[in-house]
Amino acid sequence: MKTIKGELFEIRLEDDNCTVVFKGALRLSGMEDYASILDLLKSTLARPVKPIVLDLRELDFLNSSGITMFSRFVIDARDQEGISLQFLASEAIHWHARSLKNLQRLMPALIIQLN
Amino acid sequence: MTNQTFGYYGQEPDGRGEYLTLAFSPLSAPLRSRWRNNGLSADFLGDYVTTFLPADGSTASAEGGQKEIKHAVTYIANELLENAMKYHEHSIDIPIGIHMDLTGTHITVSATNGISDGQAQRYQNFVQDILREDAGELLVRQLEESALGGGSTKSCLGLLTIINDYGARLGWRFDSHPPYQQIMTVTTSAVLSLSGLAGVSA
Repeated sequence: MKTIKGELFEIRLEDDNCTVVFKGALRLSGMEDYASILDLLKSTLARPVKPIVLDLRELDFLNSSGITMFSRFVIDARDQEGISLQFLASEAIHWHARSLKNLQRLMPALIIQLN
Repeated sequence: MTNQTFGYYGQEPDGRGEYLTLAFSPLSAPLRSRWRNNGLSADFLGDYVTTFLPADGSTASAEGGQKEIKHAVTYIANELLENAMKYHEHSIDIPIGIHMDLTGTHITVSATNGISDGQAQRYQNFVQDILREDAGELLVRQLEESALGGGSTKSCLGLLTIINDYGARLGWRFDSHPPYQQIMTVTTSAVLSLSGLAGVSA
C-alpha cells in the first residue's frame, strides 16, 4: 500500500496496485504539485491484472488543476491497449456528476459508477 | 489599452441585494503561503450564501438544491481566486479582490487582479475564443492539448468548467489603472441563475 497525504487530502494505492482511493479536498496549485499523484496513478497502468478503479466517493472537492491531472491519466489509460478503467462516484457530491462526464468524452470506454 | 467589457458583464447584479467583498494585498505574503487562503475564502463564500438561500427543510430536494448552489459558489470562487492570485502582476500594489453579489434571482462571483498590457491582450484573445466557440468542445480540446504537455492552459480550463459544468455566464472588464503605466485591472465575473434549483429561494 502506498499513501500520499496532504493537509486536506489522503490518497491510497491499495496492494492490488489497481485501486486508488481519494479522500478530502484537492486544491493544489498546479501540475507540478499534482505530479506525485499523477505518478501514483500512472503506476497502475503497468501490467494491471484487473480493472483499474479510482474511488472518488469521499473526494469532496477538486480544482481545475486536479481535473487536468485526471484527464492526463485518462488519456494515458485510453492510449494503452487493454486497459479497463472505472471511477466510483457519489451523487451526494455535486461535482462528480457535473465534471466526470468530461473525462468520459476523452475515453468513451470509461465507466463512471454513480451511487 | 482602453477600457473594455466582454461577454455577460454588468447585466447582473442590480445593486440592491446582499454583497460581500474580500481583498488581499498581494505583497503581504508569497503566493505559495497564500494559496491556502484561496480555499478558505472560497469555502467561506459558499457557506455565506446558504444564509440567504435557506432550504425549507421539508424535502430532500430542497436541501440538495442548497448544497448544490453552495458547491457551485465554492468551486467558482476558488477558480476565480486561484487565477487572480496566479496571474496577478506582482510588481504593483493593487489589491486582489473577490466579490459576491446576491439578488433574488442571481448570484454573481467576480475576482479582480492587476495585469500587464501584454497579459491583458493574451487574455482578451482567449476570452474571444470562449465567446466564439462551444465551451464543451473547447474544454475537451483543451484537456487533450493539456495531456500532450501544455501547461499554459490552466486558467482556460477553470473558466471553461465554470461555463460547461456549472452553467454560469462569464463576463470580463478590463480597466486602465492611471497610477501605473502599462498596467490594467481585469475583473472576471460569473453569474449563476437561481432559477431551476429545486427548493431554493433567496
